[in-house]
Amino acid sequence: METLSEAGTQALRLLLTGDPALWSIIGISFSVSLRAVLIAAPFALLCAFLLAYTRFPGRRLLIALFNTALSIPAVVVGLTLYMLLSRAGPLGDLRLLFTQNAMIIGQIILSFPLLVAMGHAAFQATDRRAWETALTLGARPWRALLTLIHETRFGLMAALLAGFGRIIAEVGSSMMVGGNILNHTRNIPTAIALETSKGSFAQGIALGLVLLLLALALNLTLSSLQGRGEVAA
Amino acid sequence: MSRGGNAYLSVTGLGFSRGRSPILKRLDLQLRDGEITLLTGHNGSGKSTLLRILAGLLPPDSGEWQIEDGPRQPWKPNRQMLRRQHCYLHQQPYLFDGSVYQNIAYGLKQRGTSRREIGIRVDEALHHVSLQHLRDRSSRALSGGERQRVAIARAWVLSPRLMLLDEPLANMDKKARQRSIQLINQLAADGISVMVTSHDPQHGELRIDRHLHLYQGELSERETPVAS
Repeated sequence: METLSEAGTQALRLLLTGDPALWSIIGISFSVSLRAVLIAAPFALLCAFLLAYTRFPGRRLLIALFNTALSIPAVVVGLTLYMLLSRAGPLGDLRLLFTQNAMIIGQIILSFPLLVAMGHAAFQATDRRAWETALTLGARPWRALLTLIHETRFGLMAALLAGFGRIIAEVGSSMMVGGNILNHTRNIPTAIALETSKGSFAQGIALGLVLLLLALALNLTLSSLQGRGEVAA
Repeated sequence: MSRGGNAYLSVTGLGFSRGRSPILKRLDLQLRDGEITLLTGHNGSGKSTLLRILAGLLPPDSGEWQIEDGPRQPWKPNRQMLRRQHCYLHQQPYLFDGSVYQNIAYGLKQRGTSRREIGIRVDEALHHVSLQHLRDRSSRALSGGERQRVAIARAWVLSPRLMLLDEPLANMDKKARQRSIQLINQLAADGISVMVTSHDPQHGELRIDRHLHLYQGELSERETPVAS
């Protein structure tokens, strides 16, 4: 078994020399998770807006359900999706299992409640006068919504970054519905799990470093956005 | 004596309740062009609710409106029409994140006005409220009085038929209050119907044409306070 320092040195070498297998895994990770968050965001933010700015029966229950869905384990989402997409499942004919599209669907399901919950909090925190002012100046509701999104942009960006952070590091759903196929559905977390099970830690540590750097970058961006939001308020 | 012109807006049977508590009890109301109507009532009497309904921001439970000799309109499906002709100003007006110019241009952009026309009209509006020097200043860097003048300019530039001002003179120093009063008087002189709420009937030099009092959901006409 490699010592930690040997594995670390080798990991840095792999990263810095542009190892093609490693960078393919990183590319798949970013591509899948970015697509998932970009597809989920418009629907989730619209949902967050409706929960924050309209009143309808069952609204509080829906908010509670979204908050509960925040803690659903990724592996449970993966298992459910696997059963739906497998040959014998009701959506088996779509032939999505072990594809990037299946991974994207899983990640959309995982990020959606977080985007709604954080988007809802951001809309709630925004001054309600912004919405009324846009309307009273003649904006149609959808234009007023765009204005409100602009006024809430720092909080909403924070929601998007948090959603992205949640799904790029998840392993359960991607492993079950992606199948961990090299150059196709192998992403950073599933690759780390595989390399660790083989006892080959260098690539696992290299990928772990990428996730850590990403987490650092997301946190720095988040705190910068929060700072700007406070200044703007 | 009223300076008001033709009847602009007639409202009949306006009702609004929150839960089981009636806030407005089937009110009838008529507003005229160029007239300043003072609406008084204690805190929580429903003054702001009435203004929001007239602005098309809040749907009432019942009621119809009619503009001039046009057809009577049920309220709910036609709120956008009210929003295009009426402007509501909060007690502390909200300015969007951006420059003073961008704020005043906002409503014109919604109406599809050309860029060149927007530039001309925004400059006119800034001149109207004597804030030309703040054209490119960030809205976040304005004082309370300046914010209100920008908000008035932002509404004025749209040539509304009715302006609904919620406690426009509250929490202002003497100088800012005086400037706001002059601007409100000027709005009426320009032919705009203006409705101003307050819980205090004394408003210095504000030239009030009608004084309505809202009490327990009902409107009553009161003697007009004399400008001091």
